[in-house]
Amino acid sequence: MSQSTEPTAAAAPGDISRLTDHLFRHEAGKLISVLTGIFGINRLQLAEDVVQESLIRALRTWPYTGVPKNPAAWLTQTAKNLALDLIRREKLFHDKEPQIIALMEQWPSESAEDESPMFENEIRDGRLRLMFACCHPALSAEDQTALALRTLCAFSPAEIGKAFLTTEAAIAKRLTRAKQKIRDEHIPFEIPAGDELSRRLDGVLQTLYLLFNEGYKASSGDHLIREELCLEAIQLASLLAEHPAGDRPRTHALAALMLFNAARLPGRIDREGNILRLKEQDRSTWNQAMIARGMQRLTLSAAGTELTPYHLQAGIAACHCAAIDYQATEWEKILSLYDQLLELDSSPIIALNRAVAVANVHGAQAGVDAVHSIERGTQLNSYYLLYAVLGELETQLHHFQAAIANFRKALELTELTSEQLFLSKRLAETERSSLQNVA
Amino acid sequence: MNARSSTKSDYLLLFRGNVWDRGLSPAQIQKVVSDWMAWFEGLKAEGKCLGGHPLEERGKVVSGKQRTVADGPFAESKEAIGGYFYLTVADEDEAIEIAKRCPGLEYGSVVEVRPVADVCSIRQRVDEYSTQQLADATA
Repeated sequence: MSQSTEPTAAAAPGDISRLTDHLFRHEAGKLISVLTGIFGINRLQLAEDVVQESLIRALRTWPYTGVPKNPAAWLTQTAKNLALDLIRREKLFHDKEPQIIALMEQWPSESAEDESPMFENEIRDGRLRLMFACCHPALSAEDQTALALRTLCAFSPAEIGKAFLTTEAAIAKRLTRAKQKIRDEHIPFEIPAGDELSRRLDGVLQTLYLLFNEGYKASSGDHLIREELCLEAIQLASLLAEHPAGDRPRTHALAALMLFNAARLPGRIDREGNILRLKEQDRSTWNQAMIARGMQRLTLSAAGTELTPYHLQAGIAACHCAAIDYQATEWEKILSLYDQLLELDSSPIIALNRAVAVANVHGAQAGVDAVHSIERGTQLNSYYLLYAVLGELETQLHHFQAAIANFRKALELTELTSEQLFLSKRLAETERSSLQNVA
Repeated sequence: MNARSSTKSDYLLLFRGNVWDRGLSPAQIQKVVSDWMAWFEGLKAEGKCLGGHPLEERGKVVSGKQRTVADGPFAESKEAIGGYFYLTVADEDEAIEIAKRCPGLEYGSVVEVRPVADVCSIRQRVDEYSTQQLADATA
């Protein structure tokens, strides 16, 4: 290192409070994006390495010097110095070198009092370009999510592995393959324009939705990382929604949907980690600030005539969030949204969810009939939730033997401990009810 | 060891092997930073640590009769010292207990606990040496 990375304005020693949650991860994600803009998308790994080295330098010095006054600026400055050294030493860019160095010299210096708005724009554009590159259709869905988590959110392969219930090695392999593909397919580092933008935006939204659901899915895998996954997906969707390239009704709708669902995460399990049904949840644990943000996004999503599945799902989630208690839920409205959703997407999973709404509007028997009318493929036939729903509805109808059979089948089909516990509990309760009924 | 068993004695904790695992995630790095900082601050507040510094990776090594100057020390070596604490504690056991709390241990750091040679005995040797010099000079 030729240039010093010593902090110019060290904090009162030991001021750890400047280290906000996830500061390193968030700054790393931003820096990888801007450095990819400098090095080129083919050198994604180099950008990751430079950022990693900047964090390691902080690790070597901050414990002794204290956290710098502006830790984010310190990390940026260090990454900039490392990158400039690398560009000069390795002669990475030959003829373009002077321009690149001149460009990088414009990055805000560490002593700068405020964030430079120009640099903020550069970060935002960089992140969006990287988002479009990671979500390029030439990459498989698995590669897209892994790459987005690695480069945009700066999760390590081990952390991604935990979230996806696979090994660090498998994720590392997937990332290498994805980066190779970016080179081979000449995937550009740019925000598409014109007609292509709309099509590519759908791909990005789909990946973000996948990312969110990966975190939202029932409590398998590492709980904390999964919750972070949801928050990251929300952050990326918001970033996209606030950029001219992504500011479309469907982007706002997706962001709203994510916010409504994430807001209810704290209520889904009790202190012992048991799954709670919607009617059992303590609604005071729902995150009201997130719900409010979701409502704002929902309003923005209503501009224009566009109606996407994200809109309808956000509308359904909004109904749940707006209900003071389970009894106050507007099931008619929810059912009508499900009806519209089924027209856009005839997935059996959506039909199953619709059946629950039918039961709440027209009674349990109508719900059972709705379930039985779903055209069942093998996917739905081996889906535990189908039997769990039937079990609940049959219980309400006092058809305890049918309910018991369904709960048993559901129990057979789920591998998640938390779900097994929940179903065992429901099974035992139903068996008790069945005995009382006979007596 | 130290002759002043009744009073406090001084130790250096030398942190070696700071070739941090490249696979450490940003979240883990942040955790080590916070833990290490809290550890250092705590020791200073208790009066057990008089100070400490990180060392830059770069440097020069001067050696031999030719006064050869080489680049060093050993940026990528596990032997390189990355920093030190200066401790004033009751005894070696206490210094070792403190060393065991180093947050870098889990990630490959090695902590060397070295007693600082007793100041009095050094002083004594210096004095003896000076007396000898004086004697020689005046002989």
